[in-house]
Amino acid sequence: MTNQPDTRQDTSRLSSGWISYRVGQFSLAAQWEVEAGQLLTLFGPSGAGKTTLLRAIAGLVRPQEGSIRIGDRMVFDSASGLFVPPHRRRVGFLTQGHHLFPHLTVAGNIAYGLARATPDGRRVRVAELVEMFQLNGLEHRRPGEISGGQQQRAALARALAPSPELMLLDEPFSSLDIELRRTLRSELREKLRDAAIPAILVTHDIEEAISMADQVQIIDNGQVSAAGNPLQMLGQPGQGRVARLVGVENLIPMVVTSVQPQDGTMVCARQDGGSPPLEVPLSDVVQGDQVTVGIRASDIILADSEPRGSSARNRLPGVVSDVRLRPPGYQVTLDCGGLDLSCHITGTSLNEMGIRSGDSLWAVFKASSCFLVRD
Amino acid sequence: MYSRARAILLKHFLSRNQSDAWGNGVPIGAISSAIYVLFICLPILALLVKAFQQDNPLGALVSQPALLALRLSLVTSAVTIIVVLLVGTPFALFLARSRSPITRVVDQLVELPIILPPVVAGVAMLLAFGRQGILGPALAGLGISLPFTTAAVIFAQIFVAAPFYVRSAKLGFQAIPRAYEENSLTLGLSPWQTFRRLTLPLAAPAMLTGVALAWARALSEFGATIMFAGNLTGKTQTMPLAIMAAMETSLDTAIALSLMLLALALVVLVALAIITRDRWQAAP
Repeated sequence: MTNQPDTRQDTSRLSSGWISYRVGQFSLAAQWEVEAGQLLTLFGPSGAGKTTLLRAIAGLVRPQEGSIRIGDRMVFDSASGLFVPPHRRRVGFLTQGHHLFPHLTVAGNIAYGLARATPDGRRVRVAELVEMFQLNGLEHRRPGEISGGQQQRAALARALAPSPELMLLDEPFSSLDIELRRTLRSELREKLRDAAIPAILVTHDIEEAISMADQVQIIDNGQVSAAGNPLQMLGQPGQGRVARLVGVENLIPMVVTSVQPQDGTMVCARQDGGSPPLEVPLSDVVQGDQVTVGIRASDIILADSEPRGSSARNRLPGVVSDVRLRPPGYQVTLDCGGLDLSCHITGTSLNEMGIRSGDSLWAVFKASSCFLVRD
Repeated sequence: MYSRARAILLKHFLSRNQSDAWGNGVPIGAISSAIYVLFICLPILALLVKAFQQDNPLGALVSQPALLALRLSLVTSAVTIIVVLLVGTPFALFLARSRSPITRVVDQLVELPIILPPVVAGVAMLLAFGRQGILGPALAGLGISLPFTTAAVIFAQIFVAAPFYVRSAKLGFQAIPRAYEENSLTLGLSPWQTFRRLTLPLAAPAMLTGVALAWARALSEFGATIMFAGNLTGKTQTMPLAIMAAMETSLDTAIALSLMLLALALVVLVALAIITRDRWQAAP
């Protein structure tokens, strides 16, 4: 959530709101704010309430309490009893299965939401979207006759055709392969930014969250547990629950042994003293406090000899205890005197260094790659 | 001409039979298939043979009662289908959408007339709408007497035929994912527009199947009609009733009328085949 006034020129396209929704044992409480052309990602495990939130914003479920604003229009307000039905909300909703209508052609699907346009206007808009999403030549095919990627493009075109004021994306690419997912992701991001459409994306794919989002909210068990910048939120999550959700590979319980304010760092060690100490960024803890240090496996460098003349503060000798394939690369586990560190490296590095179980290597990482995780 | 046709049919049948028997090693299946198909085809062949032995198989239709019966059958079954469509479609949609346990009971009851012997339906309708029936005095007060009228024929047909339509249309509506309709709403189409432009076209094959089945059932209706509406020429005597009546006087007329009904049944069969053929590949 950016708060600088200069990014808020176009307040008419800001969408925001809060809801509280209960059904049976499940309850959901959330609030959000997205600016024109910005993308908010809701990240969390399945069943956390992400999809329900999108459905509430689209008007497909009615929360008990809340208030929802899309652009300059209020579409829901429990206090005044206002409830604008979904077909008058001007929201684009792209769901998990793309749900193209099987009885219509690609062009028919794209034109579907343009019921109020003139025949000429409709033709122009459809041609524009066909061009934009590279569907040329497929206009008269039925959804069953085109590929998965093309179906997803057509569904995107259909959702964007009526120029929605807010785009809701519910794991839109989950059924596609990685390559296609990446391409479509950046295409969509670009188009939403160009059209200055605010968007909310639901996903449990970290890569998707980081590459697309301007801000991230972590939703767990119907509650927003954290919110902020995607890299910070997902790369160095400050909360234990979030860290586990995101899958931080190295979470190490340690004790603060000394504080070095002049360097902006502090030193932590294992309670049993079995492994070398780590230098981590300074935090609001004091000597003797118990902390959990998080390190992403991709932030650790492996070296076959002790790196001299390196600025990295942490250099730990260890023995390779495990090597396994973890697409797109490999995960190497290094036993550093009782402390197991997971490191991600590419297949090329693995081959060049000839890494095998039992090899002696050094793990190298900066103090700033370490972060404290609160429970 | 007849014997040649039979020879061709037999040859075709035997050759298919043989390849199946040797190819799949299931002679029992082939034999029972042969028995089954012969059993169904033989009476129909007999009817055709008898009809085409005459110079003009449909000549007997020119008779006054036969023509009246044909007209009455077409008119009453058409009215039946219109009523069933108008009332049955919203009802089928409601059945498909509702999740209440009461609806589930109603859903089962709807199919009762399919299983109920039509004669029982006729008796039941007499007890409801007849002069001595529950609604009899009330209807008499309005100056209406239903039994032994053309309206009674239509009542009987609706009673027995409607479930075929409602059942088929309901399955058609149920097969449409809710997500389709939700997508349509978020694309800016009102619930009514969504029904017209999405639900209806997607359910159309199932609805047409229901119409074909209901129409066939209405045309063949006999038991409930003769109990509730009687057998009055030009008024309540539909084709099946006319066939029954003709069997006592003129076999030719009975055969001609039967030939007509057989032709209509074949039309329904072909229409069903066309409707139920895969019209578009389902989206994965």
